[in-house]
Amino acid sequence: MRLAARSKPKARIPTASMADIAFLLIIFFMVTITFEVDKTQVNLPKTVVRKEVPKHAAYISITEAGQIRVSSGEEISVPVAGPEDVLSFATGVVAQDPSKAFVLKADRKVPYRNVDRVIDALKQSKARVIYLLSNQKTVEDTGQGQGGGEGG
Amino acid sequence: MRFKRKMKSAEIPTSSMADIAFLLIIYFMVTTTFAATRGLDFALPKDEDNPPIVEKEESVLIDIQPDGSYVVDHHPMALDQILDYLKPKLERNPTKPVIIKPEPTAPYGAMVDAFDELRQAKDKIGIEIKNISIPTQREIDQFWY
Repeated sequence: MRLAARSKPKARIPTASMADIAFLLIIFFMVTITFEVDKTQVNLPKTVVRKEVPKHAAYISITEAGQIRVSSGEEISVPVAGPEDVLSFATGVVAQDPSKAFVLKADRKVPYRNVDRVIDALKQSKARVIYLLSNQKTVEDTGQGQGGGEGG
Repeated sequence: MRFKRKMKSAEIPTSSMADIAFLLIIYFMVTTTFAATRGLDFALPKDEDNPPIVEKEESVLIDIQPDGSYVVDHHPMALDQILDYLKPKLERNPTKPVIIKPEPTAPYGAMVDAFDELRQAKDKIGIEIKNISIPTQREIDQFWY
């Protein structure tokens, strides 16, 4: 007598929970993603005191070479020729929204002269508040950073 | 004779869902940038045409040299010594103005370091510096001399 063949269990990798894990990660990234307003690469100064920059603030970036770019809050920033253009840009922004905050994203090695002209343009345009964008200063930075800047 | 039909089990095809999900994860991982969204706030005077007149000798002047070093009231000083120097002056007059005046060729980072140090006065020496000003070169030329 021939016995019926035993039903063999199929070999399976349990993938049912994989989608759950994947979607959990997707939700995490969707929640934490921030679209950087200005993508100019600069070496920001480091500070201990740091306040959250308001959303939709206007950005002015100054690279180490002194190149200035402006953005009224959009992702794409546009280069400008000099501080005179910053004044006309800031005046336009303030005319539309007098309480608009400005974020100054300047390289820590840039000569202060360049920053001074931009701040002066913002003062003349009647801007109310500027945020000097910075990175977090750590304990190691505090130990090394004493005695001022790192030179020009 | 009765035939035995093999019943197919009802299943939603989810095998491709993980592929789609991982594709989305990779997209988010690649596009995520950890942008700096914090900084030192710096309120500007409301009326530029009528700045408050402050006697020069009443204020403390922090001069930032082109090499990034600090000269406070004509005394060369390290960054961590500035608050100790200011403490007795602020105890006598809590509204004493402190002026940061960087040289045109001084690095911007040195100005931010000094400003950050002054903003930490409440934590470090227990007195808040209420009056910190960073005049621009135009203001110095126009109102100072």
